[in-house]
Amino acid sequence: MQELILLIVGTALVNNVVLARFLGLCSFMGVTTKVDTAVGLGMATTFVMTVSSVLAWAVETFLLVPYGLGYLRTVTFILVIAAVVQFTESVVRKVSPSLFQTLGIYLPLITTNCAVLGIPLLNVHDNFNFIQSMLNGFGAALGFSMILAIFAGLRERLALAEVPRLFMGPPIGFITASLLALAFMGFSGIHTN
Amino acid sequence: MSVGFADAGGGHLVEGIARVVAADGVKVWLEPEQTSTCGGCASAAACAGKTGQSDRRLKARRFAVGNEAGLKVGDRVVIGMSEYALIRASTIAYAVPLLSMMAGAVTAQLTFGSDAAAMAAAAGGLLFGVLVARVWAGRLQESGDLSPHLLRRVGPGEDCHVG
Repeated sequence: MQELILLIVGTALVNNVVLARFLGLCSFMGVTTKVDTAVGLGMATTFVMTVSSVLAWAVETFLLVPYGLGYLRTVTFILVIAAVVQFTESVVRKVSPSLFQTLGIYLPLITTNCAVLGIPLLNVHDNFNFIQSMLNGFGAALGFSMILAIFAGLRERLALAEVPRLFMGPPIGFITASLLALAFMGFSGIHTN
Repeated sequence: MSVGFADAGGGHLVEGIARVVAADGVKVWLEPEQTSTCGGCASAAACAGKTGQSDRRLKARRFAVGNEAGLKVGDRVVIGMSEYALIRASTIAYAVPLLSMMAGAVTAQLTFGSDAAAMAAAAGGLLFGVLVARVWAGRLQESGDLSPHLLRRVGPGEDCHVG
């Protein structure tokens, strides 16, 4: 049990998908102008990334490895992710149309997030079993959502700050992101995968 | 505050712009316009995320509200929803099924120690979570907590990047 908790903490904080692995940077810079948008996308990404990790593990274990189709891994995982996004969208629409009106906008953005593809590939690389793949996906998504929310909060404050004209917009965003990455390096002594 | 529009109150609101696509004496049907998530991006033309704004998807997101403000087809209005409602909607839609799935999988793994049992329990947990989310969302829908409110007509020069 302790090993599983350490896996989540390690993936969320130490090997953070954005600040340590540099995945999902498009969403990180593009969807962090407002905290509410960041939270909405973060929750949706958490669901999709975890379920994708689980299904990708099943596809890898029961299809790609037994039939020697490892060279199709990336394409197959992309299909799995697209299917999970479509499935999620359909389920949310059926379960509650009002929820879909509120949250539906974030789902298509997830298909273009490379972090969602990167985590299942890393699971295969690390030879994780079912539970480890699921918790690694969840931990990575948790770290991604946390960084999205923190960075959105920082950018909302930056919008009110006096920034030199040359640094306004993305430049000060990247400088802030680098400082955030340095701060997260402080977690590197806790646990590494 | 204009007649017929909701009072924003003291809480922080997530705002967006919607266009009236149909109206009768009692209700208007609104279709949300492109939001700041994609609209402000320089790569919007090439981005696959833009598919989220296709006509089909926008039609699917149409919703009805009361027409106390006397709106006509083509009018543009600012709609709002409390930040708390957005977070609660996210929790219901995603966190409940996800946590249920994970709880089932971890419990089965620790009990039986096999991947097959964990997979079956994960599927069962996910299904259970979706059912709980459905019931919970239905209650909130009946109480109107998840419905956006009309705030005001769109002012001159006001684009989709509100709120």
